[in-house]
Amino acid sequence: MDEHELIARVRAGDGVAERALYDAHVDRVYRLAYRLAGDDDLAREFTQDTFIRAFERLGTFRSEAKLSTWLHAIATTVALNGLRKAKRFRQRETDLDEAAATSAGGRAAEPDLKRRLAQAIDGLADGYRAVFVMHDVEGYTHEEIGATLGIETGTSKAQLSRARAKLREALADFAGEWIS
Amino acid sequence: MMDDRFEERLREAAQDYHRPPDTPREEMWRRITAARAARQARIIVLRPALRWGLGIAAVLALGVAIGRWSATGSPPSTEVAGTGERTSAFVYQLAAAQYLTRTEALLTGFRAETRAGAPTAQFSIQARDLLCTTRLMLDSPAARDVRLKGLLEDLELVLAQIAQLRSSGDRDDVQLINQGLEQRSVLLRLRTTSPAGPGPARTQGAL
Repeated sequence: MDEHELIARVRAGDGVAERALYDAHVDRVYRLAYRLAGDDDLAREFTQDTFIRAFERLGTFRSEAKLSTWLHAIATTVALNGLRKAKRFRQRETDLDEAAATSAGGRAAEPDLKRRLAQAIDGLADGYRAVFVMHDVEGYTHEEIGATLGIETGTSKAQLSRARAKLREALADFAGEWIS
Repeated sequence: MMDDRFEERLREAAQDYHRPPDTPREEMWRRITAARAARQARIIVLRPALRWGLGIAAVLALGVAIGRWSATGSPPSTEVAGTGERTSAFVYQLAAAQYLTRTEALLTGFRAETRAGAPTAQFSIQARDLLCTTRLMLDSPAARDVRLKGLLEDLELVLAQIAQLRSSGDRDDVQLINQGLEQRSVLLRLRTTSPAGPGPARTQGAL
């Protein structure tokens, strides 16, 4: 069954086709949601919300775009909006603990490289982080990222470049080990 | 060169960033189907309430229309007995004529435009308006006429289908509506029930 036929059957209310559409795309949507959220509950919630919205709005989908691009656009919108809400909620809790956490200084007390990298990626602005995760971690092309996030391909490239520069800066004290 | 090496190492190390576990397919699918079923149930529960709301709005709208007509168009009369009843019947006749004319225009336009592939958004808005009046007409003395009542019930169904069309206008849904119009000869029955003549003239005739 090709994509057009699958979409037509879903629009006609065919439950088997709905499941086929879900099976074809759920892995990539969940992976992206998890990479952005870093939390299983949130990733599940974002994935579920993505498919619920997609099934409701499939009538508005225009076939000139790829279904996967359309789905990933919904997924990134759902995830980034959901994370903003979650961040606002968490911020109130973490502010109180922050002073104690940063008091331990010195290289020996610092976490290892991957942990520092994760923190640095978390610290990127939403747009930079989404582009970095999609391109360098999940392997999307700049064209796919542009279509998904609704930005120009050139903007995607520029944001990736800035994201990498910020990570390099954040990981400056590991630079020697990496390049050697 | 050093930049390339850094980017390569960065990409390698970033693979562990929020590394996802296996996709919990079945569990998420169960939740998706349950959430959609719950939403559907909420829509079904809301529909009667919505219908009542539209009915009330229609009563108000027709009340305003009748009030305006009474203020400007009612003939001065010294008769008391029987005048109220005749006026009431006349008002319903007038309202029915206007309603049928508008509905006929909408359905004729809908059929012609959708066959040419035009968008359906404007028709959905008009259908929602007319749907209120249809319910009011069905609850009025006008529906004592069995033929008119049958027509009004068919119109209510067709208008509800048009009102629920998405703005993009699903081709299959549009086709089904047009098939229904033809199979039940809705436009033919509507034309034979409506007074003859162009829209404004019909209203004037009724007056």
